[in-house]
Amino acid sequence: MRNLLKRCYQCGRCSGVCQLSKVQKYTPSKIIQLILEGFEDKVIESGVLWDCLTCNQCLKDCPEEINFADIVRMARWKMRHIANQNPDELIAHKGMYTTISEIMSRPYIQPERSLDWVSKGCKISDKGTTLYYVGCLPYFNYEFENSDSIAKSTLKILCQIENEPIVVFKDEICCGHDIYWGQGKLKTFIKLGKKNMEMFEKAGISKIVTACAECYRTFKVDYPGIFDDFNDKFEVKHIIEFIYDNWKQNKIKFKNPSESSERIPFTYHDPCRLSRFLPKDNNITEKTREIFKEFKRLGYDFKEMEHNKKNSLCCGVSSWMNCNEKSKALRYKRMLEAKAAGDIMLTSCPKCKIHLSCLQDDFEDIASIEIMDFSEFLVDHIEIINPDKDTEITE
Amino acid sequence: MSKAKKKAKQKEEWTPELLVFCCNWCSYAGADLAGVSRFQYPPNMRIIRVMCSGRVDPTFVLKALKDGADGVLITGCHIGDCHYISGNEYTRDRFKKLHEIIIKQLGIDGKRVRLEWVSASEGKRFADLITEFTNQIKELGPLKVF
Ligand code: SF4
Ligand code: SF4
Ligand code: FES
Repeated sequence: MRNLLKRCYQCGRCSGVCQLSKVQKYTPSKIIQLILEGFEDKVIESGVLWDCLTCNQCLKDCPEEINFADIVRMARWKMRHIANQNPDELIAHKGMYTTISEIMSRPYIQPERSLDWVSKGCKISDKGTTLYYVGCLPYFNYEFENSDSIAKSTLKILCQIENEPIVVFKDEICCGHDIYWGQGKLKTFIKLGKKNMEMFEKAGISKIVTACAECYRTFKVDYPGIFDDFNDKFEVKHIIEFIYDNWKQNKIKFKNPSESSERIPFTYHDPCRLSRFLPKDNNITEKTREIFKEFKRLGYDFKEMEHNKKNSLCCGVSSWMNCNEKSKALRYKRMLEAKAAGDIMLTSCPKCKIHLSCLQDDFEDIASIEIMDFSEFLVDHIEIINPDKDTEITE
Repeated sequence: MSKAKKKAKQKEEWTPELLVFCCNWCSYAGADLAGVSRFQYPPNMRIIRVMCSGRVDPTFVLKALKDGADGVLITGCHIGDCHYISGNEYTRDRFKKLHEIIIKQLGIDGKRVRLEWVSASEGKRFADLITEFTNQIKELGPLKVF
């Protein structure tokens, strides 16, 4: 770890920008200094690094481009496997969802996921070239009502645009994001990765579309880091990119189904995994903005929040770690920004949606904001140009 | 149990490993009664005593399955008898959801996770229940999680 940090010259910017440092005693630059001075073991032992949100705000401002979140990820492996720490009580929902991921990583487990959310008229199959990778949404229904409406809208969009049936796996397993970042369980992550790759190959997939920011980052960056040929075999696209490409190729256009002439202000919450966790040449945030610009024409006013794009604030929880009063304070701050910017808040990460809307039950003043996923919002606003097939997709 | 031991055991004959949660006031007393009355039941289960069946978080069940339990049984007071008034009602609702949304979608046979009400006077019933559950799991075979 020390070698990765050597370039740090203690400017302290990371601690200044770190959201966590505003609500608790936690300073990344100090931790780095301790490690550099040779107290790595002490840092590991103390377990402070379980607290990090792995939001990567610090990387964005670091002049030396020190990827602290990545260090934290590695440290978590050490904390678990070398210092034998068990962070069970820090995991949100008592570890429900991380346990599910772990069960899925086991070789003989073959999930039988419900496909009730698939709209009638959407053609799906288990073999083909384009995969819609749903992620853990159907399991989230356990605590968060209607989580699969994101999946439903995304699939609707895909079905309308693509001619071939879309592949949706009944036995899809977790991508492993939370295990990798939150838990430091590298082995489990690799197991999941291998199982996933096998499944993709068997079904003949060449393109993976997902509506989840975390799945996207995991497939785009973390899998290729472990499996060299992942990128050659599969093309990974977020639904935003998918819509953007089709729009630029003049296959679709946007429309506004409502007749009212009232202009609706809306805003967009950039998930960290899409704004700060991608290679520099990835311009998904810009693409999103371009689509929103088009929405101006349709009677919507897109307004940025005070912190946006790369500066976007954290939704408070990542990888199901540390959902507590401090995280709620961060979320509240974010929601106030949203309130100042618009009536609708879009995001493109199902978990951001869950975390932010969870807070709405606690605070009345922010309850009026409608939080929607990107695809939930767009599904009614897409029109196919020259459809060469008639897809009647009903509820 | 160490891995080597487990392997050796597997070679002999497979017996299921079951986990049973008993609430302190009814089911645990029921289990006690079964013991005091010397009702026979298969010995391959472990009991965890909790104050109320409402204490059993669904994650406990998942973690048990993950770590090698072949079946999990949750027992509590009959509806209306819970010593904390409505603990078992919460359990009931929660487990319905756990079954439908999580266990089923994970591809795990729903029969492996069961919720039953056993009162303090039902020692016989407790013994029968365990026997029946054990046989059921034996039929299903081991839950291959490793
Ligand atoms: S911003 Fe970068 S260089 Fe500055 S203290 Fe933090 S890690 Fe070190
Ligand atoms: S990743 Fe986020 S929470 Fe962690 S140190 Fe950096 S800014 Fe702070
Ligand atoms: S005390 Fe027995 S179920 Fe609540």
